[in-house]
Amino acid sequence: MAKSKKLQVLTHEEGLILAAIADRIFPKTDTPGAVEIGAVNYIDVALAGDYAALAPLYSQGLRAINRYARSEFHKTFLQLTEAEKEAVLRACEAGALASFKPAAEFFETLRYHVLEGVFCEPQYGGNKDMTGWRLVDFPGQQFGYADAYIDKRVDLEPISVDYRKAEEK
Amino acid sequence: MAEGIADVIIVGVGGLGGILAKELSSAGLKVVGFERGPAPKQEDYAPRDSIRFLIRPEQLDWVRHEPTTTRRKSGDKTNVQYRTSPLNVLGGALLHWTGQSSRYMPGDFKLYSNEIASGNAERAKADLTGYDIIDWPLGYDDLEPYYEKFEWEFGVSGQAGANPFAGPRQRGFPLPPLRHSARMKLFTEACQKLGYHPYDTSAGIASAPYKPAAPFDTRIAERPACVYCGHCNFYGCHVHAKSASLYITIPVAFQTGNFELKTNTKVFRLNVDGSGQVNGVSYFDPDGTAHEQHARVVILSAFVFEHARLLLISKTGKGRFAKGLANSSGYVGRNIMAHGDVRAMGVFDDFIINGFIGPGSAAMRIDDFNGNNFDHSDLGFIRGGTIGTSGEGTPVTRLDVLPPGVPSWGKAFKEFYTRYYTRTMDLNMQPETLPHPDNRVDLDPRHRDRWGLPLPRVTFEFHQNEQRLQKYMAGVGERIMKATGASRVWTEAKGRPNRWAGGTRMGADAKNSVVNDQCQTHDIENLFIVGSSVFPTMAGYPPTATVAALSYRLAEFILKQKQWFK
Repeated sequence: MAKSKKLQVLTHEEGLILAAIADRIFPKTDTPGAVEIGAVNYIDVALAGDYAALAPLYSQGLRAINRYARSEFHKTFLQLTEAEKEAVLRACEAGALASFKPAAEFFETLRYHVLEGVFCEPQYGGNKDMTGWRLVDFPGQQFGYADAYIDKRVDLEPISVDYRKAEEK
Repeated sequence: MAEGIADVIIVGVGGLGGILAKELSSAGLKVVGFERGPAPKQEDYAPRDSIRFLIRPEQLDWVRHEPTTTRRKSGDKTNVQYRTSPLNVLGGALLHWTGQSSRYMPGDFKLYSNEIASGNAERAKADLTGYDIIDWPLGYDDLEPYYEKFEWEFGVSGQAGANPFAGPRQRGFPLPPLRHSARMKLFTEACQKLGYHPYDTSAGIASAPYKPAAPFDTRIAERPACVYCGHCNFYGCHVHAKSASLYITIPVAFQTGNFELKTNTKVFRLNVDGSGQVNGVSYFDPDGTAHEQHARVVILSAFVFEHARLLLISKTGKGRFAKGLANSSGYVGRNIMAHGDVRAMGVFDDFIINGFIGPGSAAMRIDDFNGNNFDHSDLGFIRGGTIGTSGEGTPVTRLDVLPPGVPSWGKAFKEFYTRYYTRTMDLNMQPETLPHPDNRVDLDPRHRDRWGLPLPRVTFEFHQNEQRLQKYMAGVGERIMKATGASRVWTEAKGRPNRWAGGTRMGADAKNSVVNDQCQTHDIENLFIVGSSVFPTMAGYPPTATVAALSYRLAEFILKQKQWFK
């Protein structure tokens, strides 16, 4: 796991499990994955604010995933191979964690949040250095576009604007 | 003024309340406007921030206080739903609309005559069981001058004569069409190949700097041209190129000195006197204290759900208003409608779209499958909808736009998304929904809002005509998308409710409608309702230009009633 800032809501253990999940949802390949791009921090920041109501779902859900890993593979989630982790997540996605009823809903929430962490405006704590945007050729919060860029890549350096800082001034 | 009697109260100073405030106060009437939300500063609505406006809209102060409850049909469990229309903020949903500014076609106002009486529905073998279709009590020609006024005050960009299905117009558009994008080019070529009639969507977005000239209102400030940032639908415009009452009409209303605005107030009751007229409203101030404001005329411009709710909440113990105000017909809350939007999507291996650029309403469109512009024989449904390109949005808003077979997470997802985010294009279809009395708004018996008022309960589902039409429209979209040369094409053929209308419908007969052709309630002479809630039927276009035209027309009618304001 990439060196992380201190987590506000998630425990250290939860942060590690979440990172392992995030890396399966948007994996590191020859380009950075969700963990390097800051998805765990994004989720932690969100759980401390706008998504506070979801904090219990996260702690129960992450525990249920770990429990399912133990019962199926006799290992903690972190000890699983990548293929085993994906099998656990597919079970969660299908709502098949016997001990955790809202498993499917939790997986869908997780999936969205991890990907939000990859592609959000960086002021929300993810999309570090606008890496997520660079991966898809999106140049960020441009003031505008002087060209219509028909059938050509937009070659502008991405821009991010932190409106909260602008407001604090 | 607040202590005395206002000439006019406007409940809801959104896009339409903002038009009415200017028109009425400019003629010297004393107008008091009640707005549920705040007067926003530019930094509140202008950030190009997709998390704030698209991913977490339920966190917005303008959204989170007034949800509705929702269910598909009577007897189902209800869910609380946060909605971005209405928008509880000064200037309302015209702050974050897409800008598609389409006039309805002449035939859109006469559904009973054109579809049922004409035998068209029978030839189509449409099953209209359960629907409740009437003609509008006015027609295109009645609204034409007011469409024009909206287009020239708000600066609509477009090209007159380009759409062969459009109604006649006395005057062209004040501004030329917006710049063409990759998706517009592909759509145009595909439609020409198929023999359809593509045209530039008329858009409430300035294609060049704009200030109205005489004979239109020259007090309106100049606005700059669109910069094509692409942060348009659901965002406020950061350069004010988008047409919005907040900075077009509302400042002029204030300049008159006749407009008093009460922000962060909640109107919770319309009051009637012994003669059966309304004499004002009761409201909570920002601290929650109840007050009364008296007025000679009350206009509701607070959106579909709130109109029905306020009329129902304001019922009196017994007598003619025991079922709610203006509800002698029993039609308050009935026949709500929403387009059942369907989409066709395509990805391109050899063409870059860059769909995040430019406003979504910089679009090409066809009406070959709108209204009854096409032969419905044996299709099994009536009506249609407009078809056009739409804006594709930032990466965080496109996570579900995946062709069948592409997983929504993992390595294969990453490979797809990083390659095709800039190579995806959508077509949006807006199939009309017919009025059905089971689709309605009433008062939720269990859920209450922060003021202790029952939430509006929305009961809504698509019935047989919608289901057939939506499927057909998705098929047309698929055909066009294939003709663009996309490498893979797929559709979303089940309608998603979008753009609400109905609930206080307009009609010639007081027995089956709530307001007359002047938006005046049949039952109460000095109570008016304006907005899409008065639509007896909806067309296959967004309502904005039509509700704006109705607002200008209503203002003119009220100003003619000089005897009321002596």
